[in-house]
Amino acid sequence: MALVLGIETSCDETAAAVVDDEFRVHSSVVESSIDLHRAFGGVVPELAGRAHVATIGPVVRRALDDAGLDPSSPAISGVAVTSGPGLIGSLLVGLSSAKALAYAWDVPFIGVNHLEGHLFAPLLEARDLQWPLMTLLVSGGHSLIVLQPGPGQHDVLGETIDDAAGEAYDKVARWLGLGYPGGPEIDRLAKEGSPEAMKLPVSMIGDDFDLSFSGLKTAVVRATEAHREIALADVAASFQAALSEQLLRKLRHALERYDVAGVALAGGVAANSALRAGVTQLAKEFGLVVHLPTMAMCTDNAAMIAAAGLHRLATSGPSPLDLSARPNWQLADVS
Amino acid sequence: MSWRRYGASAEETQAAGEAFAFVLRPGDIVLLSGPLGAGKTTFTQGVGRGLGVRERVTSPTFTMVRQHECVNDLGIMTLHHADVYRVGSLGEVDDLALGELVEESGVALVEWGDIAPSVFGLDVITVVFVIDEHDGRTLEVDGALSGREAALDAWAQS
Repeated sequence: MALVLGIETSCDETAAAVVDDEFRVHSSVVESSIDLHRAFGGVVPELAGRAHVATIGPVVRRALDDAGLDPSSPAISGVAVTSGPGLIGSLLVGLSSAKALAYAWDVPFIGVNHLEGHLFAPLLEARDLQWPLMTLLVSGGHSLIVLQPGPGQHDVLGETIDDAAGEAYDKVARWLGLGYPGGPEIDRLAKEGSPEAMKLPVSMIGDDFDLSFSGLKTAVVRATEAHREIALADVAASFQAALSEQLLRKLRHALERYDVAGVALAGGVAANSALRAGVTQLAKEFGLVVHLPTMAMCTDNAAMIAAAGLHRLATSGPSPLDLSARPNWQLADVS
Repeated sequence: MSWRRYGASAEETQAAGEAFAFVLRPGDIVLLSGPLGAGKTTFTQGVGRGLGVRERVTSPTFTMVRQHECVNDLGIMTLHHADVYRVGSLGEVDDLALGELVEESGVALVEWGDIAPSVFGLDVITVVFVIDEHDGRTLEVDGALSGREAALDAWAQS
């Protein structure tokens, strides 16, 4: 049984995990620096980088301990790490640590695309995943609709042309004074409001699979400026309904166009209750197996990076030790 | 001296950006300022189109700065698109080294650049976005633009 250590530091979570070649998770440790960033209404890159430096060592040690491995010379077959996309200062912490560990232990080193990691998250939770799989990957930095013929194969059908879905949540929440991260706050408030209270545009009516959230964000800002009397809960409910409607409409369009066996959600916004309910309904309508990740698998973690690393190691082999961080590495450029 | 141009819609803000690309020269740093949803990214998408960026210009908020290769006759080879809203300190804006990056045949457009003017010095171009009650935008351009008056007059009048 081959074990791989995964490391993830692309944004505000410092994470390490040990996963085996049958995608069983032996340990998964996630240390979030979200409290540090809350005061600023978003991730502050310099603070994130420093937090990673302070926590990476203990987090890796705990992941090895939890998996029952000897931290000084663990019986592992490789070290996988997110090498992009993400914040450059944060990526470098994980990348340098992974290289050093792989070199010291004399095992292969594998650079992994963070988005491909998210696509592997469902495989850690559902062994009965049906292929081809249609995945809606939505997070603070990314929004894509991806067709996966099989594990590690991906066609990006569409993506955001401006803001990411989670970014729209964060920016609207900041505007409304709701704090960071915006998703959980707006989701909670939305349950107490009316989604029909405000008339908001549902963008991107076109025939393609691209997404857009900038216009919606602007519409919320302008409407709440003009009508300060609208209850916060109503704003939250109306915004969330409009955002989900766009995502679900595009996902529906993709399911009509492509013949798939399953549908999955991935990324931090996959924790959103409106989206989960909508995707479940859509899967039922199309007679598809649906996979909704647990909360721990929605947000950034290293188990998904280890899983993607296992796949890349088997299919493409190890990465060179001089591999650079790629802050804007697109999923479409992964092969 | 400053120049103004009005945009009634997101499309017009983008068109203003596209036309503004032809005012730019290698080495320019452009600070964009205006409230949330004012059109800073939309304007930059237009500039990208004008500079011949083939890929999509999307929000730089998540990674703080994105680089786009350009194909044009202006000698501008890279568009650096940054968002410095969430920086923790001026030193961090300095770390982005945009001033050095644009020396290599590049231009930089910095969203929320007005929060860190001291880092960029006086030798910058500023674009201020003002939203009116009809949801239109007035773009006011000012700064280090001597010798480009004719091009800016044309930009303001189109």
